[in-house]
Amino acid sequence: MSDYHFDFFYVVHGFARLMQGLVISLELTATAIGIGTFSGFILALATSSPNRLLSVPTRLFVETFRCTPALIQIVWFFYCFPMLANVFWSPFTMGAIALTLNLTAFNSEAYRAAIQSVPSAHRDASVALGLSKWTQALHVVFPQALRFASPVLVSNAIGLFQQSSLVAVVSVEDLMYQGKILAVETYRPIEAFTTVAVIYFALSFPISQLAARVERHYARLLA
Amino acid sequence: MNLSPSIIIEYLPALMRGLRMTLLLSAICITTGLVLGFVVSLMRSGTSKILYACSTVFVEFFRGTPVLIQLFWMFFCLPVILHIDIGAFLSATIALSLYMTAQASEAFRAALLSIGSEQKDAVMALGLPRSTTLLHVILPQALIRAIPNLLSISVSLFKESALVSTLGMTDLMFEGETISSATARPLEVLTTVGAIYFAVGFPLTQIVALVEKRILRRIAL
Repeated sequence: MSDYHFDFFYVVHGFARLMQGLVISLELTATAIGIGTFSGFILALATSSPNRLLSVPTRLFVETFRCTPALIQIVWFFYCFPMLANVFWSPFTMGAIALTLNLTAFNSEAYRAAIQSVPSAHRDASVALGLSKWTQALHVVFPQALRFASPVLVSNAIGLFQQSSLVAVVSVEDLMYQGKILAVETYRPIEAFTTVAVIYFALSFPISQLAARVERHYARLLA
Repeated sequence: MNLSPSIIIEYLPALMRGLRMTLLLSAICITTGLVLGFVVSLMRSGTSKILYACSTVFVEFFRGTPVLIQLFWMFFCLPVILHIDIGAFLSATIALSLYMTAQASEAFRAALLSIGSEQKDAVMALGLPRSTTLLHVILPQALIRAIPNLLSISVSLFKESALVSTLGMTDLMFEGETISSATARPLEVLTTVGAIYFAVGFPLTQIVALVEKRILRRIAL
């Protein structure tokens, strides 16, 4: 270590700003999780559909989002989507769309494995009860798939919270963006970036620990 | 809207240069991360409490924060602390290698935990020295069980490497953004960049899936 003098005065001063950024980060994350948890399931049903007109395009969608960096997805939505669709929405909206689609693709993979582990007897029972296809999907398969997939869904959600920092690149004023501004304005990169890192960590770490504990609890219950 | 595909052909050599940088950086960080990750996983499953605490804090911190902030921290803060100018390439390499180390160590740890305790009893009964146990009993088994996870982490790292463009490193993403703003043709250029990432990433994920299936079958035997 060196003779560096830490000075957290500016970080304390700019803390309100960091918190404003955190609110934006959390809004983005909540939007993506809120939609992605359900849309991922629908997408998983579509990708495993016997109808090729449905399964091929949806598989292509999933693979596109899984095999390209999240950064290019966000930058692409920011620059190219408005040109293609001729709409001009706020950077926040564009970031939210890109992150939601990204999470949907990753969640659909988690659901695909989970759907396969729903016992086939339940399907037979649904058919015997004369349930419609939608009722079966929503009330028989979905609740069980949600439970089987939940460990992966939670880790995807935590990953998404971290990926949400990428929207700073297209100037959405999230936590990362505010941290960067603070570091540049005050010439205090160490204090500013360390504080931002600690805030991200303080939110991700307890959730991942809690998720691991819940998972172990259920694993013991099932065993 | 009129597309001009010729722009892609014109700038393809620059994009390929970027891709080479992306692949080089990914290769360095994956290799370093795999080696260090195995060492860290041994530290976490050993008996020393101090080693366990240090390695756990390290792993949890790198897994609990965005890669972007790790890159920024290494780029802006490390030179201030160490009083040396290390440049974008080295700071990006350090940040991504450490991130890869944390991820890989978790994969190795899960694999180490899955090695049955009867193996340890057998090693003890045979009177094998510790180094032999580690290299010839634990490592081969941990490695084969960890391979599917390690491969998918490596593919993720290839994708995460796009973030180094924010430090001004001339990787594929950086070349793409520069060309797209210089030519005002984001649609053609950025879509091509996405397609190049996909062209590398997709076959890799397919290979991962294939290897995973094979290894699972082998372990089941």
